[in-house]
Amino acid sequence: MIKLENVKKRYAERTVLDIPLLSIAQGEIVAFAGANGSGKTTLLRLLAGLIQADEGSAQLPAERLYMPQQCYAFRGDLVKNITLGGGDAAKARQLLEALELSALADKPARSLSGGELQRLALCRLLVRDCRVLLLDEPTAACDARGAELVLHAIQAYREAHDCAVLMTTHSPVLAAKGADRLIILNSGKPEADGEPREVLLHPATEWAKSFIAGWKIEC
Amino acid sequence: MIDSFRQAFELLFSFDKELWQIIGVTMRMSLLSTTISCLIGLPLGALLGTKQFKGKSLIKKTVHTLMGLPPVVAGLLVYTLFTHYGPFGSLNLLFTVEIMVIAQVILITPIVIGLSSSFIEGNSKPVIETARGLGLSRRKTAMLCLSEGRSSLLSVVLSAFGRSIAEVGAVSIVGGNIQWKTRVMTTAIMLETNKGKFSFALAMGMILLLIAFLVNALASFVVKEPAHD
Ligand SMILES: Nc1ncnc2c1ncn2[C@@H]1O[C@H](COP(=O)(O)OP(=O)(O)OP(=O)(O)O)[C@@H](O)[C@H]1O
Ligand SMILES: [Mg+2]
Repeated sequence: MIKLENVKKRYAERTVLDIPLLSIAQGEIVAFAGANGSGKTTLLRLLAGLIQADEGSAQLPAERLYMPQQCYAFRGDLVKNITLGGGDAAKARQLLEALELSALADKPARSLSGGELQRLALCRLLVRDCRVLLLDEPTAACDARGAELVLHAIQAYREAHDCAVLMTTHSPVLAAKGADRLIILNSGKPEADGEPREVLLHPATEWAKSFIAGWKIEC
Repeated sequence: MIDSFRQAFELLFSFDKELWQIIGVTMRMSLLSTTISCLIGLPLGALLGTKQFKGKSLIKKTVHTLMGLPPVVAGLLVYTLFTHYGPFGSLNLLFTVEIMVIAQVILITPIVIGLSSSFIEGNSKPVIETARGLGLSRRKTAMLCLSEGRSSLLSVVLSAFGRSIAEVGAVSIVGGNIQWKTRVMTTAIMLETNKGKFSFALAMGMILLLIAFLVNALASFVVKEPAHD
């Protein structure tokens, strides 16, 4: 459903993204990991159509929604924030319920905490229909409970819409629990790719091994 | 000083015909030049604040230089263009309210462009990123940027208005300070000061401030800002 071939993106002569081949199936949840500056955000922005590749081709459905790494609170209350891109208020309230934000529904979105705002930003996408969800670190600001809620919401949306989900993360737990597949980027290049537990437990390359060791997990 | 206060009130409530005529000309000129400058300047400011293109930094430097254009220079420039023998002399606009508006638009538009572009450049990135991520149209995205930044954009508009209503150099050159025609508050104050009627001039100055205050109050009432934050 999504297919990238020889996609390259450069900033000032420096190649920040270099993907020889990547295909992602319908209904698949893929997590992208990698160090700061490894090109995760660049990849998602490229797939969202916010930037253009310098080389190569990318095929993907037009109905896609993207949540930036930096969440923004618009003026107004939570429901207004969720529905400003479309979608109805009743559904927005259901999502607030699911993400445990109902108690704050009538507050101005600007008064939310970082983790609350991140969950709100996710609702903005989930209230609408799409074929591809692009989520840049959707749980980065969430506590354990918040991350759990986010994962459930994403999975429920995937069941309902049979869409592909591409998300980035610095959390191995999220990768292992929430995704069907984990891809690790090394300076813009996919270095490991597979079932999350497999990738984490049996890294394919030395580099991947040392990167994962940095996560200090015992699973 | 106290005397001027008393005089200002007496002046206002005596409904002196000439005073009210001067206030009328002042408002017409200031509102018109602010409106035109904003219609030209805000879209250009948005363009400059959001788009990357060649020669952008040169344009920005030019705009910032023009923000400091001395009013008398702008007045002189417009005067030479519209004087009887000038290229636009046949329009016969010299010493009219229209030409005062033209001179002020030249003065104020760079201010609107400069202030709005740096404001938009600094604040609209996350709005644009979020809106485009949701697949919103360019129009809707632009509307969101405007409404999200409306209090700052309002202060851009008010700065323009403030400059316009307080300006004296350009309007006295091209307008000529003609009684019942092109005399505005500032040029009237100059005249009274030159005549030595200081307290009367001061009284006019207070009325000018009062007008500026009322316009500001009205504007912030229209663009209501929630109390929190
Ligand atoms: N607009 C830009 N102009 C120049 N360089 C950029 C731009 N955007 C990103 N880069 C560079 O591209 C590289 C990849 O950035 P990117 O934001 O994709 O990293 P990331 O993997 O998302 O990092 P993080 O984990 O910190 O979010 C970085 O080195 C960054 O400096
Ligand atoms: Mg990033």
